[in-house]
Amino acid sequence: MSEAAFQIPVGPQHPALKEAPENFTFTIDGEYVVDVKARIGYNHRGIEKAAEGRSYIQNLYLVERVCGICSIAHVSTYTQAVEEALNLEIPSRAKYIRTIIYELNRVASHYLWLGLAGHEIGFDTLFMYLWRDREIALNILEQITGNRVTYAAFAIGGVRRDISPQMVENAKSGLSVLAERMKYYKKLCLNEPTVLKRAVGVGVLKPQDAIALCAVGPTLRASGIKSDVRADDPYLVYDEVPFNVVTYDGCDVASRVLVRCDETLVSISIIKHALDHLPDGPIRVKAPRIVPPAEVVSRTEAPRGELIHYLRSNGTDKPERLKIRSPTLGNIPSICKSLIGGFVADIPIALASADPCFTCTDRMAFVNVSNGKRWVWTKEQLRRYSLKWYQQN
Amino acid sequence: MANIAQKPTGETLEVEENLKENLGSKILELKVPRNRRIFVSVEKTAFREAAEYLTKNLEFKHISTITGRDAGGQTEVIYHLNRRGVELSLRVQIPPREATLPTITDLIPGAVLYEREVHDLLGVKFEGHPDLSPLILPEEWPTGVYPLKKEWTVEKIREKIANLEKR
Repeated sequence: MSEAAFQIPVGPQHPALKEAPENFTFTIDGEYVVDVKARIGYNHRGIEKAAEGRSYIQNLYLVERVCGICSIAHVSTYTQAVEEALNLEIPSRAKYIRTIIYELNRVASHYLWLGLAGHEIGFDTLFMYLWRDREIALNILEQITGNRVTYAAFAIGGVRRDISPQMVENAKSGLSVLAERMKYYKKLCLNEPTVLKRAVGVGVLKPQDAIALCAVGPTLRASGIKSDVRADDPYLVYDEVPFNVVTYDGCDVASRVLVRCDETLVSISIIKHALDHLPDGPIRVKAPRIVPPAEVVSRTEAPRGELIHYLRSNGTDKPERLKIRSPTLGNIPSICKSLIGGFVADIPIALASADPCFTCTDRMAFVNVSNGKRWVWTKEQLRRYSLKWYQQN
Repeated sequence: MANIAQKPTGETLEVEENLKENLGSKILELKVPRNRRIFVSVEKTAFREAAEYLTKNLEFKHISTITGRDAGGQTEVIYHLNRRGVELSLRVQIPPREATLPTITDLIPGAVLYEREVHDLLGVKFEGHPDLSPLILPEEWPTGVYPLKKEWTVEKIREKIANLEKR
């Protein structure tokens, strides 16, 4: 090899949008999936270890980068943990603003997911419409926090920016559009043959399996289990805001779609209520930099389900241990379970229906049990196979 | 300074009383810092019995995660169990030289990945676990390097990996 030659490693990470690859090995018999094995960790960044070497304030920005889509969920869970360890009560107005941003993030996330689900089943028009409308949510977030994705809006002791009366007005008019659009998409999903054919009875996760495998979030609620951290273990102002926990009992992809449609509407009504009841007062209190020895378990309901941070402080300005469990890890066993017995062509949408934070499961290995043949597909190849198969069958 | 924590009520107190009554002699420490948060510490020998009691009798069927921690000299494993919003953290400390614990995957199948994660990062072996192959770390990861142990600083891990690559 000449010295001018470069080595460019590509994969298992996909360099584009598809952010974190995972590897699934499927055992198949003809068109049916017999067994699934997941292998994660291709993008393990060692954030828990990194957090031990950074101060609590530096960690605010580290934790925000755990996830690009639900960044607020992580910051919210983290700040809540630090504040509990400090025994620090944050102002009421700050709690309301946090709730508003958290729920706006959920709206943006669910819009994003529903669009991706459309893409997975070859319904790209739906994808385009939803991602266009998602911009409204991002614009509101940008106006309130100054950023579209990683918001840097929370501080230990409160929030960094206040909401002005003008922002309240703008947010409300944007939210009305988002609510109208989501009602339309829900109606569409209930009637459109493309969606029904690809979603009803696909990726079935029975309630007893969902409980045994400890599924979380919309995946669990679409199997008819009423469980939501906001209701069971309220934080911020969820004990003051009226809302209901959405469940559907179809246990399939269609139910997961409907749960998220309805949850978006619930989130919008929570935000409207919070905007109408914004208390006056300060938005932030001063927080000490040193955290006394304590241990805290902090939980919130992220867009994808229960998120838990365990914080142990040791009397310095750096945590002794910060354990983070994001909802996708909790859902992997149930995703695998829901694929077994289904068609190979249903893998993309059934996988996507748990809204895993690795949007792309980059490489997939297949083992055919009848002849022992083994091959590897990329996610894109599998998606194309799936669309072609449904065109022919 | 006033305590911001909500006082324990209803279900949290019931669980606390039940634990004192039925597991009392096995419990090393029982803390209820606020409503819906319970911390229970047990000896390694009593761990399995406590886990069975919590999952079967008290119906803590959901596991949020398992935290592993290098507690200097001891490896600490905390099981975060949940029942209708009450989060119970079951803590057990084990010596790093005999870092083994019985698996709880037979009691809660959902614990399967969390045990593998703690095995990867702190070297705790879960006896009876169906598959303890690497979950997070790569296959070529040097043996005996457990990244969450305090002795393994980021620099030391980098050095170790660089040495492996040279060979």
